[in-house]
Amino acid sequence: MELYAVLKLIWVLLLGVLLVGLGTMVGMDMGVGTLLRFVGRNDAERRTALNIIGPHWDGNQVWFILGGGAIFAAFPTLYATSFSTFYIVMILLLFSMIIRPVAFEYRSKVEARNWRETWDWAFLISGALPMIIYGAAFGNVLQGVGFHFAWDGQYYQDESFIWYLLNPFAILCGVLSLALSIQQGGAMLMLRGVEPIYGRARRFAVSASFIAAALFIIGGIWISFIKGFVYSAPVDPAMAATPLAGPAVAMRAGAWLDNFHAFPLLWLVPVLGLIGMIGCALSLLAGRPALGWWLGALSWIGTIGTAGAAMFPFLMPSTTMPSQSLSVWNASSSAYTLGWMLVFALIFVPAIVIYTSWAFRIMGGKVRTETVSKNEHSY
Amino acid sequence: MTNAVKILALAMVLALALFIAVICGGYAPWYFAWLVGTTMIILISVSGAVLFETQESAADTDPQPHAGEKA
Amino acid sequence: MIDPSVVSLSRLQFALTALYHFQFVPLTLGLTFMLAAMETVYVITGKPIYKEMTQFWGKLFGINFAIGVATGLTMEFEFGTNWSMYSHFVGDVFGTPLAIEGLMAFFMESTFVGLMFFGWDRMSKEAHLAVTYLVALGSNLSALWILIANAFMQDPQGARFDPTTMRMQFQSFGSLVFSEKAQAEFVHASIAGYVCAAMFVMGISSYYLLTRRHREFALRSLRIAALFGIVSTLAVITLGDAAGREDYLVQPTKLAAMEGLWQTTKPPAEPWKLIALPNDATESDLFDFSIGIPYVLTPLVTHTFNQAIPGIDELKMEAAARVENGIRAVTALEQYAQTKDPNALSEFEFYEDDMGYGFLAQRFAPDQDLTKITPSDMPGIVTKTARASIPNVFVEFWSFRIMVAFGFAFLVIFAFGAYYSLRNTIERQPWVLYLAMWSIPLPILVALYGWITAENGRQPWSVFGWLPTFEAASTHSLGYMIFSLLGFATLYTLFIGAELYLMFKYARLGPSPAGSAEPRIAPAGGPAILRPGYAAKSWE
Repeated sequence: MELYAVLKLIWVLLLGVLLVGLGTMVGMDMGVGTLLRFVGRNDAERRTALNIIGPHWDGNQVWFILGGGAIFAAFPTLYATSFSTFYIVMILLLFSMIIRPVAFEYRSKVEARNWRETWDWAFLISGALPMIIYGAAFGNVLQGVGFHFAWDGQYYQDESFIWYLLNPFAILCGVLSLALSIQQGGAMLMLRGVEPIYGRARRFAVSASFIAAALFIIGGIWISFIKGFVYSAPVDPAMAATPLAGPAVAMRAGAWLDNFHAFPLLWLVPVLGLIGMIGCALSLLAGRPALGWWLGALSWIGTIGTAGAAMFPFLMPSTTMPSQSLSVWNASSSAYTLGWMLVFALIFVPAIVIYTSWAFRIMGGKVRTETVSKNEHSY
Repeated sequence: MTNAVKILALAMVLALALFIAVICGGYAPWYFAWLVGTTMIILISVSGAVLFETQESAADTDPQPHAGEKA
Repeated sequence: MIDPSVVSLSRLQFALTALYHFQFVPLTLGLTFMLAAMETVYVITGKPIYKEMTQFWGKLFGINFAIGVATGLTMEFEFGTNWSMYSHFVGDVFGTPLAIEGLMAFFMESTFVGLMFFGWDRMSKEAHLAVTYLVALGSNLSALWILIANAFMQDPQGARFDPTTMRMQFQSFGSLVFSEKAQAEFVHASIAGYVCAAMFVMGISSYYLLTRRHREFALRSLRIAALFGIVSTLAVITLGDAAGREDYLVQPTKLAAMEGLWQTTKPPAEPWKLIALPNDATESDLFDFSIGIPYVLTPLVTHTFNQAIPGIDELKMEAAARVENGIRAVTALEQYAQTKDPNALSEFEFYEDDMGYGFLAQRFAPDQDLTKITPSDMPGIVTKTARASIPNVFVEFWSFRIMVAFGFAFLVIFAFGAYYSLRNTIERQPWVLYLAMWSIPLPILVALYGWITAENGRQPWSVFGWLPTFEAASTHSLGYMIFSLLGFATLYTLFIGAELYLMFKYARLGPSPAGSAEPRIAPAGGPAILRPGYAAKSWE
């Protein structure tokens, strides 16, 4: 295999790692935000819940930013096209995401009840909406998106945004992603919280795990009826990265299962996801939140891995001009860019993992109402 | 033993600083200026604060010249 | 075909969101290093007042930082949502520094900022100091990579256009990172941030001295800030000169607009215009009036006494000469893209250097289609394109002058502040204190003018000389743009209201008395519920 093709493969895997990181870490904080109003029934409890992720939400959020940056650098055509075709959805995502940092920092700085209540609603919106959109984006990409390119590489949109927000499969994926985030957030609240937060978080997280598992199975069955995409002509993985010269692509119901039929080992990925979800529920019920948290991360790996394995090598197929579908082979950046980015990723991703774990260890331990009120910087 | 390790560590820091200085000086004079400048700005403001403490304790032992300021 | 009003709205949205974001960035860049300096004094002297200082200014930093982070999210995604052609055209190069920024800098800054706020009791003094320095380093490294990306838009180094993939392809990482433009921009912008932070700390300390509160705290803070500020302002002026010279070398249109040079200069006597009213419509100064200092401009810009600086008349002629070739390049490229005809490719390669001017002419062509240009259209299109290659002179001229004038004013304020602070007589000079207090927002405003100077001067290009802004935008409908613009305007207005409210509230409140166990600010549920009135409205 040529070096360029190998680099493209490595980068799609790294993109998967980033998306899993995003789901696990940002999803956890979003889950806490969504649950905030329900696990905390008075101000002290809500502050305690917030301070459980207080020292970490900012670092975690960088997974989201890094996800955007990595797509830009490694798959620039995907970045340019997907964010523009999903414009209204992306803007809604941004609106809800940018409320969150402000909510963390400002909520507890004023005592007035209206002020805090308003920010608590902001946490709910900025927790739930981005996760729904995150999942719905996957749901839409799996069904294909209506766009084509002009000769100069400018995209043109062929479908209305309403469809991207409101179609049944996308909604299913959105709710699945929301459920996974509640599961992850609940596990974290149990890990560092005490009663009554502990018990309430467990109730929500366990139900979320079961809902996620059910939705995941339904989605899996559903996908065999959805029109998938396959290259109907030979494709050169080391091709110059342009969607304009793409080989022919065919659309066929059930084509997303082709990869699983060709490599039966891939069935392990969705199975791992299911083990993660069910396992997470069981360990939370058994009072083992740390194990539950890691199994929650496993369910993200399983879910995103399943979507990736089904679509590979496609990244964002086009329903209106299938031959211009974006894939790993035609939407990536040049070998030079991928090479340099890999050097930086190999140095800094391990460094990030190391200092993030260090930060979690330093700040570890149960968060109690008394400790929250003692620190002036508490949220 | 610990001294040897310390000296070795310091030598490594020094070598690294030299390496950065040579690379920066050759290819990136303004980046180098930023490194030196930022360090200098911090050192100057830190020594300003340390000087403040010295002036303060001098004023405490000899209240005459600063009588107006020590309320 | 792209709707010109969609481009204008996209530009408006980007400018608004970028300017808004940039209100909060400079303070972050500078305040982090100043916090590190204060904490260094704490570790050296062991005096708790310096810990208190680090924590108090850290709290104000946090209020500012939150919005900086929030609005930065928008910037990371806006290239994709609103500038798809741009992202496609330069993504191979431009995405790299953005991604490295996340990997190397922003992750570090954001992870350690949590430890900086919450980790005081959980690690040794020295470890916490290291954490603070890492936050400062992270935020400035972040600025470094963003400005490397920005410098590529100003002076595209390290890439070349590839007709197969129809985009700029990355050729040299070193040229990108060590581009002179990137270096000058980063150092200038980062240290401008130090100036903003120094004025912020000095101004609020002055307020305490004027209101006779927190005296010990304010005197020390003011000392650190004044010294921090004076060296930074000196550095920022020096670097501003370097940045200006860089413009002269690589962006002559920007420099001509900055100095209001309608005609090529006559060295060495050419005056440096202090005041004039450039009129873009007539391409002359209003009433032909200007006040200038002779013999200053040439050495200031060129660092020589005999080099002429090209004026707008000459630059327009140079542009006009490239338009027709540019149109040939773009039409040949289109033909090659559709037919893979090797003759079209060789024609494109012949005219490749002028390609940008072909794209620039596109908006003036019938139906924005270069192939529809008839020979009789050509002279008109050439004139319009040449005219479009010059940025708005009035905006450029004045934003530059405002920036420079205030830069020198800050130097004076810091000089007096440092002098009287070092002599410990600052309290007897209330005018310095008032001046510093009222100057708090000015450096931030001036930083925004710096951004306008840099980015307005880049127009009409998105990537200087290669891709015009007009061609770079996404093909959205007007409705989409109105929706997002209204949303951003509403959210950001609410944010700035909340930010200013909290900033004033906490700055007025001042630091809590040293060693107090009782949290004075935002007490948690426990103590708060004991207060009368609050308990009555219990939350259940």
